[in-house]
Amino acid sequence: MKVITVTFNPALDRQIVLNNFQVDRFHRVPSYDNMELSPGGKGINVSLALAKFGVPSVAMGFLGGYMGRILLDELRKKSKAVSTNFVFIRGETRENIEIIDPANKTITEINSPGPEIEEEDINHLMRRFTMTLSRVETVVISGSIPINAPDDLYPTFVKEALKRGKTVFVETTNKNLTALYKSGVMATVVKPDLRAGNYLLGKDLKTLEDFVEAGKKLLSVGAKLVVLSYHVDSDVIITEDGVWMISPTVDIDYSHLLGTGDTYTAAMVYKYINGERDLVEIGKFGYIAALAKTKKLRKELPTLQEVEEYNDKYEIKKVG
Amino acid sequence: MKVSDVMVYDISAVFEDDSIERVVDIMSKQYLSGVPVVDEEMRVVGFITENDIMKASIPSYFALLQSASFLPDTNQFVRNISQIKDDKISKYMSKPPIVIMEDEPLIHAADLMIRHNIKTIPVVDKENRLIGVITKIDILKAALKEGLE
Repeated sequence: MKVITVTFNPALDRQIVLNNFQVDRFHRVPSYDNMELSPGGKGINVSLALAKFGVPSVAMGFLGGYMGRILLDELRKKSKAVSTNFVFIRGETRENIEIIDPANKTITEINSPGPEIEEEDINHLMRRFTMTLSRVETVVISGSIPINAPDDLYPTFVKEALKRGKTVFVETTNKNLTALYKSGVMATVVKPDLRAGNYLLGKDLKTLEDFVEAGKKLLSVGAKLVVLSYHVDSDVIITEDGVWMISPTVDIDYSHLLGTGDTYTAAMVYKYINGERDLVEIGKFGYIAALAKTKKLRKELPTLQEVEEYNDKYEIKKVG
Repeated sequence: MKVSDVMVYDISAVFEDDSIERVVDIMSKQYLSGVPVVDEEMRVVGFITENDIMKASIPSYFALLQSASFLPDTNQFVRNISQIKDDKISKYMSKPPIVIMEDEPLIHAADLMIRHNIKTIPVVDKENRLIGVITKIDILKAALKEGLE
């Protein structure tokens, strides 16, 4: 076992494929083939993507209630390469809804806030996390945090993993990255989750310079590699050695973007645990895997063979 | 068939210094009848079941009775469990625990369960670290589906 993934706020993802979805209209789902219930939350998705690459991992976090038990059952059915170590809480795990419209190439996502957690739950997870750290080399902490979670939740877990010499990958929202930045602790590899808007560390990201500035701020507190989504289908890769823009040379169907961020992170972890230390190569491989994911409509994840098919479908330029 | 074909790769566990109250809470939230107890290196050092806690809570003379049906109420049981709720589970857990390795034949797990009258066995690696659990119902389901050998 080389990897732990932590999901503080897992979700049961309900994906519905509906052509010509419109708000304020009645829709009937044509068949059960157009619906899927699957375990979700960014860390869990990374574990599942790693499993597809043949990498076993331990998925940790908080689960609760009926939804939590369904999520756990579904996760176990998906892959034996994902070991589970969740702390069960009093509240009910959330359900997220994703409406995929292939006709208009759109995805509408409605994410619930999730349950509240208690201090005792955090302490319990931290104890299990610390214990499991002794068995792995890499930690992925991804996604949102429960509504009443303390601001230092991310900094506390990232700090503990770094203290024990682990390489930490983080993909999360501005709120949690700001907490990390203010604490002076930063993950090794950072992929800001900008789905809710291009806003990071107190600033709107409009121009390339804004993205680079935000990335360099993250480097200044300890990150080694920052990957920022730029105008949906491109990414900016920022390291201490420079800035690169990576873009596709093929058309991307925007209704196929679900799960690309998690595939990106999983692929970077895969490259890293297989000995790659060139940060730009790690970022590139993540991008190629995310491109390969866009071939699939739902949260289906690509295999390594499918990722290789996208090896020549991108271009990368040093821009700074 | 081997243990690995049927086991659940769940490494949820409790610690020796967890309290009875905490462990009951964990078991009730996850619908578990028992849970492995591990040390800080994740080595399995015991196993605690609802039965162990129940036994610790009922008066010791119960074992001598043919039936408890003539006893008027559960006051003594409630009082006893309140008294031990903050105790560490290390006091009541089974130790050394019965464990099995993932490459052992499934029939071996079934045999251990019958001999020791247990529902769940922790699955460990060569260093005795927890990697999952196997339950009676998992074995029965697998046996019905494919046969044990």
